[in-house]
Amino acid sequence: MKRKNSFSWLGTVFMAFLAFTMLIPFLWMVSTSLMSEVEVYQFPPRLFPSDPQWSNYSNALTLLPFGRFFLNSIIVTSFAVLGQLFTCSMAAYAFARLRFRGRDSLFALFMSTMMVPSIVTLIPAYLIIAAFGWMNTFWALITPILTSVWGIFLLRQFFQTIPVAYEEAARLEGASDWTIYWRVILPLSKPALATLAVFAFMNTWKDFLWPLLVTSQNDMRTVEVGIAMFSSLQGTNWPFQMAAAVVVLLPILLLFLATQRYFIDGISLSGLKS
Amino acid sequence: MTISTLHKPFALLVSILCLWLVFSGCDSALPSDTITLRVATWASAEEFELEERMAERFMELHPEIKVEHESIPSGYREKILAAYAAGTVPDVFLLDSPIIPALMNRDLLVDLKPYEAQTGIQEEAYFPSVRAVFTRGEELLAFPKDFTPLLVYYNRTLLREAGLSDPDPDWTWDDFLTYAKALTKDTDNDSAPDQFGTAFDNKLYLWQPWIWSNGGDIFSQDSLFTTEILTSPQTEEAFQFLADLRNKHGVAPPLVSVGNSRGGAVQGTVGMFYGGRLGMMVSGRWAYVRMRQYLEDGDLDVRVAPLPTPVGGQKSNVIYAAGWSVAKTSKNLDWAIKLAAFLSSEEAQLIRAQSPIGIPSLRNVAAIQAEQDPFGIEAVFMREAEFGRQSWGTKVDAFSRIEYILESAFDRTLVGGEPISLVLQEARIEMDAQMARSAEASSDFAPLKGDSHIMGFLYWGALLVLFGVAASIWSTRRPYRSDVKTGFAFLTPSFIVLFVFVLIPLVFSLYLSFHQWDIISSSKPFVGLSNFKTLWGDSQFWHAVRNTLIYTLHVPISMAISLGIALLLQKNVRGAALWRLIFFLPSVSSMVAIAMVWQWIYHPEFGLANYTLRLMGIPAGTWLTDPNTALISVMIVNIWISVGYQMIIFLAGLKGIPGTYYDAARVDGANKWHQFWHITLPLLRPTTLFILVTSIISSFQVFTLVFIMTEGGPLDATEVVVHHIYRNAYDFLQMGYASAMAWVLFVMVAFITWIQFRASRNRVTYS
Repeated sequence: MKRKNSFSWLGTVFMAFLAFTMLIPFLWMVSTSLMSEVEVYQFPPRLFPSDPQWSNYSNALTLLPFGRFFLNSIIVTSFAVLGQLFTCSMAAYAFARLRFRGRDSLFALFMSTMMVPSIVTLIPAYLIIAAFGWMNTFWALITPILTSVWGIFLLRQFFQTIPVAYEEAARLEGASDWTIYWRVILPLSKPALATLAVFAFMNTWKDFLWPLLVTSQNDMRTVEVGIAMFSSLQGTNWPFQMAAAVVVLLPILLLFLATQRYFIDGISLSGLKS
Repeated sequence: MTISTLHKPFALLVSILCLWLVFSGCDSALPSDTITLRVATWASAEEFELEERMAERFMELHPEIKVEHESIPSGYREKILAAYAAGTVPDVFLLDSPIIPALMNRDLLVDLKPYEAQTGIQEEAYFPSVRAVFTRGEELLAFPKDFTPLLVYYNRTLLREAGLSDPDPDWTWDDFLTYAKALTKDTDNDSAPDQFGTAFDNKLYLWQPWIWSNGGDIFSQDSLFTTEILTSPQTEEAFQFLADLRNKHGVAPPLVSVGNSRGGAVQGTVGMFYGGRLGMMVSGRWAYVRMRQYLEDGDLDVRVAPLPTPVGGQKSNVIYAAGWSVAKTSKNLDWAIKLAAFLSSEEAQLIRAQSPIGIPSLRNVAAIQAEQDPFGIEAVFMREAEFGRQSWGTKVDAFSRIEYILESAFDRTLVGGEPISLVLQEARIEMDAQMARSAEASSDFAPLKGDSHIMGFLYWGALLVLFGVAASIWSTRRPYRSDVKTGFAFLTPSFIVLFVFVLIPLVFSLYLSFHQWDIISSSKPFVGLSNFKTLWGDSQFWHAVRNTLIYTLHVPISMAISLGIALLLQKNVRGAALWRLIFFLPSVSSMVAIAMVWQWIYHPEFGLANYTLRLMGIPAGTWLTDPNTALISVMIVNIWISVGYQMIIFLAGLKGIPGTYYDAARVDGANKWHQFWHITLPLLRPTTLFILVTSIISSFQVFTLVFIMTEGGPLDATEVVVHHIYRNAYDFLQMGYASAMAWVLFVMVAFITWIQFRASRNRVTYS
């Protein structure tokens, strides 16, 4: 089947306009990161730096131990992404494909944890970490985000759309629930799993308040906490802060570019006979 | 039924959980050989190294001590409060104005008076007004570090252009107004001024001394109640003068960015001043930290003048100070005191004076620092210290509450145009009621035990869950029993994490909602339903609920837009990957950058939005500056942010729709619209439900955007529930009350979510 290869004329104009507004903050980050401090405050703002200060990048990244921050963020984020892919898909399988007493009440209980604002549960969660003696450790950074109800809900919705026929075929051949989950459901859900991976990565990478609370030393801090260290009561070093922010953003963009093909090329159900 | 007969993975995970709970309790109290001291500051990246050097110097002098320096440039207060709640307070920490009364009144700081000799500093060596900030009766509760009064910074270039000479140090309010008028200009001849004489942020800490200098005040000196003084003609006159700068004389711009004003928002007062759009700016020594570099590079020509005084008034200023305090909970009190003494010693202050951040609390070091300043700015600050008075914020408990009441009242005059006498009368009633409440509450502080009961919740909760699991397996009839076990086994990994880090904190917050808790002290008196009763009559809370409900209306709009984009981008159009990346950008860009850019877009005079509107001949909008349009403006920003995130999920959902359905429809001759309506939408329903439910939940919890862009203003037009909860918990120190609000919010969100699930289920059975 041939498909269209470009938008209609009107579509292109509309998309280009929207895309332009979406680009502005990112452009602002990049151009601010190359300005001198005074130039940032030019009024009305300049879109391009008159004399790009490339040294802002090296200066900002060496003023604080950003290498260490990156390492910490990568460790924490890897565990979070793998953990969430595993725990969320298991729970979602139970909620979407299994029938057992209490399933729907348990799902309601899981969902309800999303509904209380985290700023009131922040202190109790902090108290638990402190009671465990986990302050300023990877345990404190990683364990609370090994699962996510958002991810469970996302996968449950996708698992529900998979026709029962696939499962039944496997069951006839004597497959256990674990086999069905691992060999049938997961391979059919690549787009959803890719989506979850991207969002788990993004949310962990950009999390600020929790890492700030549970870490006290630079050797445990993450990139987002590092960025915030360019702001203080005396004002913000905008070029440095934005230089660091741009560098910190790059891994997310790369990951997005690498995984986004799964949104298109993910195994299409239409190719299988039902 | 015993655990051993359960499925293997389930049993394994449960035993890991049990072991972990048992062991994790023990290892926190391990003895160690070297003494470790923790010291907390709010040093930012540039200051960080300086304070690290201090810690290293101390370790050189005392090799048996290890000093861990913890810098918390943002979120300092939240972090110190949480540390108090958990009993993990640093041994030594910088005491900042907003938490001074809370900690002092609860007797949580070591009296350092007997140890003052260790600093090697005589009492007279300090600026008396600075030392007074940390003095309670005979006690000294922190060794003073540095301080600042307020001054008028002025842009000499703009003054020269307007034909003005440097202001006289004894200038009056009238002189200030004359200067401001001369500096207000319309440089691009569009009949709207784009250069202003001054700007006035609605912040109590900025206008406190203006009121004093006119003989007015907020509280009476002896009673800590407002009495007649708040509504006296002197106080009213001072407020009126400040309001007139904007409302009557138009020499100050409308407030564009309320949030981040102290952090130097690009569109805020500081940004306008650096950009040469503001003749004069009232600020403290903190502004000079960054500005000095610009002066040295010749990018700016700025000098300072003392605050003006009204004719017949009294020269006044205010002192904001930071000091090193020692927590009573420190396990090594002697060493902690030695460290605090070292950090405020002359040696330490001299080192800091080489790259100055504040004005040293020692007169002789301040004098040395002033000599090294080629612009003479430090010297003016030093002289002003003599007129400095202690801010009310360092005396009154939960002063943020008072600030909030007064700033809201003043906003009604500044933005709403109500007469100042009326709003002050009403503020007075509110403030006195508040003071009466806190006088009652502060009489019974229990000593700090560092025991939060949270582990009790965890143990009993774990027992209850195990019992529940066993009971539900046992009570299920045999043929279905293995289904239940399988289901539980698949849920166990995520449940353990949720249980420990979300459910138990949730239950704890429910417990808190029936108690009164200030986060700092360990006592949590039971108050029954009183939090909920107060909540019922709290008009501000219900106003925030109303705003939140209106705010939620943006969800369907953004979903329609994002579905449209997803439909366009699902095909293999040229550069689809790039388009998707671009639409995804806002959800990953720095929130601060987004807020900056949108504050610029919305700027009434220079903003892109009004520029475009003017081009099309449409009257310019007021956007964030007007209570009627502020909430919609924030909603637009959120639509813009969430479109990309929703698009991604829609794309993944669209991929799941089998192409055969469309092929079949095409064979039947269905057009595009029919295909969309009868195939795409119904089959996309699980995705749509997901986006709708999660977007509405997160829309009810909107916080960061409001916090950065508007702080709930103007006139509470953008005050949403979670921002209100945050204010109550961390500014007003009413965690119990905040938890009650959170649970009311929970009930509302749960109800709305339930309706959505019900509605979607009905439609599924229908199709």
